[in-house]
Amino acid sequence: MFNYKTSIKGNITYSDLTIEEFKPIMKLIIRGKTKDFITAIGKNLNMVLPTEANTSTSAEKLTAFWLSPDEWMLISNETVSEDSNTYQVEDELIKNISKVKLGAVTDVSDQFVMLNIKGSKVFDLFATGSPFNFNEFKNKKGSVVQTILFHIDVIVHLTEINEVNLFVRRSFSEHLHSWLNDSASRL
Amino acid sequence: MLKNLRVTTSKYIDETSRISFKFNGKAYFGYKGDTLASALLANDVHLVGRSFKYHRPRGIMTSGSEEPNAIVQVNNNTALTEPNVRATELEIYHGLEATSQNCWPSVHFDIGGINNFLSPLLPAGFYYKTFMWPANFWEKYEYVIRHSAGLGKSPTEPDPDIYDHKYIHCDVLVIGAGISGIIAAKTAAKNNLKTLLLDEKNEIGGSTIYQNSEHVKINDQNSSTWLENEISELRNIKNLEIKTRTSVAAYHGYNYLLARENLTDHLPKNEKNKKIRQRLLKIRAKKVIVATGSLERPLVFNNNDRPGIMLSSAVKKYADYYGVATGQKNIFFTNNDTAYESAISLNKKGIKVKAIIDIREQSNTAFTKEAENLGIKVYRSHTVVNTEGYKKINKITIMELSRDGQSFASPEKIELDCDCLAITGGWTPAVHLFTQSGGKLKFREKDQVFIPDIYPSNQISIGSSNGDFELDDIIKNSTKSLKEFLNINETEFDNLEINCPKDNQIRTIWLLPSDKVLGKTKPFVDYQNDATAKDIKLALKEGFKSIEHVKRYTTTGMGTDQGKLGNMHALGIIADTADIKVGELGTTTFRPPYTPLTFGTMVGRNVGEYFDVFRRTPMNDWHIKNKAEFENVGQWKRAWYYPKNDETMHDAVQRESKAARDSAGILDASTLGKIDIQGTDASEFLNRVYTNAWSKLAIGKCRYGLMLNEDGMVYDDGVTTRLDENHYIMTTTTGGAANVLGKLEDYLQTEWPELDVYLSSVTDHYATASICGPNSKKILNKLIPDLDLSDESFPHMSFSNAKIDNIKCRIMRISFTGEHSYEINIQANYGEDLWKKCMEAGEEFNITPYGTETMHLLRAEKGFIIVGQDTDGTMTPIDLQMDWIVSKKKYDFIGKRSLYRSDTMKEDRKQLVGLVTDNPTEVLEEGAQIVATINQTPVEMLGHVTSSYYSPNLNKSIALAVVRGGKNMLGQKLFIPMEGKNINVTIVDPVFFDKENVRLNV
Repeated sequence: MFNYKTSIKGNITYSDLTIEEFKPIMKLIIRGKTKDFITAIGKNLNMVLPTEANTSTSAEKLTAFWLSPDEWMLISNETVSEDSNTYQVEDELIKNISKVKLGAVTDVSDQFVMLNIKGSKVFDLFATGSPFNFNEFKNKKGSVVQTILFHIDVIVHLTEINEVNLFVRRSFSEHLHSWLNDSASRL
Repeated sequence: MLKNLRVTTSKYIDETSRISFKFNGKAYFGYKGDTLASALLANDVHLVGRSFKYHRPRGIMTSGSEEPNAIVQVNNNTALTEPNVRATELEIYHGLEATSQNCWPSVHFDIGGINNFLSPLLPAGFYYKTFMWPANFWEKYEYVIRHSAGLGKSPTEPDPDIYDHKYIHCDVLVIGAGISGIIAAKTAAKNNLKTLLLDEKNEIGGSTIYQNSEHVKINDQNSSTWLENEISELRNIKNLEIKTRTSVAAYHGYNYLLARENLTDHLPKNEKNKKIRQRLLKIRAKKVIVATGSLERPLVFNNNDRPGIMLSSAVKKYADYYGVATGQKNIFFTNNDTAYESAISLNKKGIKVKAIIDIREQSNTAFTKEAENLGIKVYRSHTVVNTEGYKKINKITIMELSRDGQSFASPEKIELDCDCLAITGGWTPAVHLFTQSGGKLKFREKDQVFIPDIYPSNQISIGSSNGDFELDDIIKNSTKSLKEFLNINETEFDNLEINCPKDNQIRTIWLLPSDKVLGKTKPFVDYQNDATAKDIKLALKEGFKSIEHVKRYTTTGMGTDQGKLGNMHALGIIADTADIKVGELGTTTFRPPYTPLTFGTMVGRNVGEYFDVFRRTPMNDWHIKNKAEFENVGQWKRAWYYPKNDETMHDAVQRESKAARDSAGILDASTLGKIDIQGTDASEFLNRVYTNAWSKLAIGKCRYGLMLNEDGMVYDDGVTTRLDENHYIMTTTTGGAANVLGKLEDYLQTEWPELDVYLSSVTDHYATASICGPNSKKILNKLIPDLDLSDESFPHMSFSNAKIDNIKCRIMRISFTGEHSYEINIQANYGEDLWKKCMEAGEEFNITPYGTETMHLLRAEKGFIIVGQDTDGTMTPIDLQMDWIVSKKKYDFIGKRSLYRSDTMKEDRKQLVGLVTDNPTEVLEEGAQIVATINQTPVEMLGHVTSSYYSPNLNKSIALAVVRGGKNMLGQKLFIPMEGKNINVTIVDPVFFDKENVRLNV
């Protein structure tokens, strides 16, 4: 059996702020432009992709983030098995989307590390390293943004008030995690 | 015995909290709320420093950030030392140690004081006319000049303090919390606008909170009482955040501002620990209200710089706010009414005011009447012509002015004893931030001030920074502007009843006359840089006309205070001398920061491990555990080599290189860029972005590709694999990955939107272990017994899907070393375990991990280029002897057209060649220049060495180089001149090893 090892070594806990990695989470990038693509997605996943910029939609098992006019990220709402990297959802989408030339489906499960950050100081933390204006974002559940945090590209998804899931490329994650801990220690 | 000049209590000074500190090694005490300046004055200490050029004794002049003289070194000889700290802003704390600057051995006895006597030899610009003879003395002069330069001393140890940054977004930013700023902030916040109010002082309220004049009332209350009530309400207003001790440093375009928030400088040492010292606020505001007030001007007259000569408003603040008398025989010297208000205030506190010297003929306001009623002697139409007292003023001499103010009505001189001369030449609106943001000023003749005229959008100025100096004007005009700016109909300040003295007439004489010729006087314009009126006139005489040239020639306004006190006088003197209007001259350019910023504030947490971002591969922990040395490749940490038993790098690389070719090596190749390409037009897309042809690449096959910029120059390369009919995976160089993806996405969106192609980065999704060597197949076979590894089923430049322990992976049979080689790509979180399994499987074959240095060597033996090492953005494929990869049949690809420019087709361009040295053990230096002849000057450089190694597999040194016309010079001997020797080299084929590529199938 393979040993599954992520880049994050431990949780971060302060009063009013916790940071924890959720893993393994399936993540797929799906890309397409046409109405047929949107329809096929809806049929296969039983969910509607978000069409408004920087929003998300959720179904029972999956959540979709809008990343660009022809790009979405699908994530599993629950963790998946460490012992396999075959996903039924991916196989279905490859069969019904990319093989029929409607769009592209790419597994990015380990491209991104997912960190759950929650507590009343979430946005104080972001303010130390991100130029994005979170004033409206933080009050609208389901908001998504792609921005910079400590010079590193991240995707942020507001799941609840004062709770976000942050996605960062695996190679940057250890450094970002260290910086998050450093910044959080002085909030 | 220390004198105590604290004459009255103040609610801003906590006399129950006594604080001891040291200045110049001597112990003093003050109270919580004191600045170093107020505490020193309370202890009757006026002499605090020496001026820059003449080393004249200087004292505290102001009470704020405009201070030119009282700048001190704090915590000298420690890691926390900081130069040029303004004593007027530094709040005292237990353990503070501050010292005077620019003096030796002490501020009281300074050897540099001799410069004062040499001053006729040291006018403005003297260094352009001196230190030239004899020429060989220059280095001696330079030594002395360098040691004389500057005021304070830089620290020599790393700064242990913590600094940080914070981004703030608000609807309204109000800069300055004086009366107009408070009105603005309250109005904005109460209209549901998210408001941020900043002030550089520790208490808000500006000068109004300690104004105690009977003549200034708001709704029948003292202005200070009224304002205190407003301030107490502010704290409870939602939507309003107030930050004190926060100075706005810069005002950039589109309402992006930087401010420095001081968090711990005022705290005792034991309370500072591990807290953020200063924070840089990066503010984006929808609207900005500038309420930065105005700065009092001094007067320019002979010897106007002695310790004890202070601004009138500062003298008032020290008395009213800090409860400190700045002197016991105070005289005021003025050209307007504000000095009278100050004098009255001192008088009411029992501080003696001997006289007011007023250059105006008359003034008849409530302040002037009250001063006279109190029995303060007023000398109208008089000016100060001289002051005396080397280390502290003790006497002034005054004379009656002529009507035109340029000379004297009579030769009679009056001498007056004094120990503090409070001067005021009027007020200069603080328009620095306004102009930084791109605002344009206009000149108002009446009171000789520059005020805002044309605003950038979403910004206004109010209060005295907008040229309103009387309280009723301030409040009325502020509320009017606010209503329009914030789009509201009314404010709670619309109907205030305001009483204040009116018609404060000002008389401006930029350079007051003296009874001596100008050359024999010292009327200072820029206190910090010792620039006098004489210097300015000299600059004009020498032909400098523009204010920017005069500034630089005389250094007026170039100190840490940026000429806050003296710039207007410089303009005025230039205008008078050149007989032009001040308004026509304009101002010099205001640049950030408004007051000095520490490097720490600017850098924030981007220090140490956070100086740059680091990227790590999934196998990183294994490399560390196995004692790899690392190198930075872009932002990546890559294993460089794995020394064993104290090996040097050379020894380790030799061992690794030999092992890789003799048996098996393994490299962490995870950092290479990987781009997933899907879509029905994917082949066509590849045809356009690479120089070679892609349409006929079969599914399951790999091909090397070269990418050019539109100028025809190589900028990236890599192997791309066809995974399926419309599905490819492209690899790029490690450093080029992000650029390549960005460029390709840009082309798809802007140039070729019709193509059905989608790109996704998977660089981080996959870990890549590259196994090479004659035993690589055996190792892979142990890992994946079911995979057919025969050359027929799995030939070189092909790929296979596979599973290892139920985990899907892709295996590419490609080689960067020239050995039989496999790259296993697996999902990153299994990467380390894959690596361990490879090591385990390879143990019997002595599988040897190798790093980037060995990788470079092995590929160089095969003549493979590394983009960025052997190329520099000026090499075409033909230059690299890679004609074979440029398709002649394709209609077009990026860069094709540029390959046919006359310049890119020249035969004598630099071309890639191999080099061997006559002495096979001599390894060339990368970057070394190559020449054809030695004893020729100037010598023509033909090219340079791009890669160079000692090859253990060939037992000789090898190098790649680029040489002009090199491909036609095979066999030719050239030279590499180095320090102390010349190295003989021969041009050879760049493929040194296994030219037939036999080893790919071994």
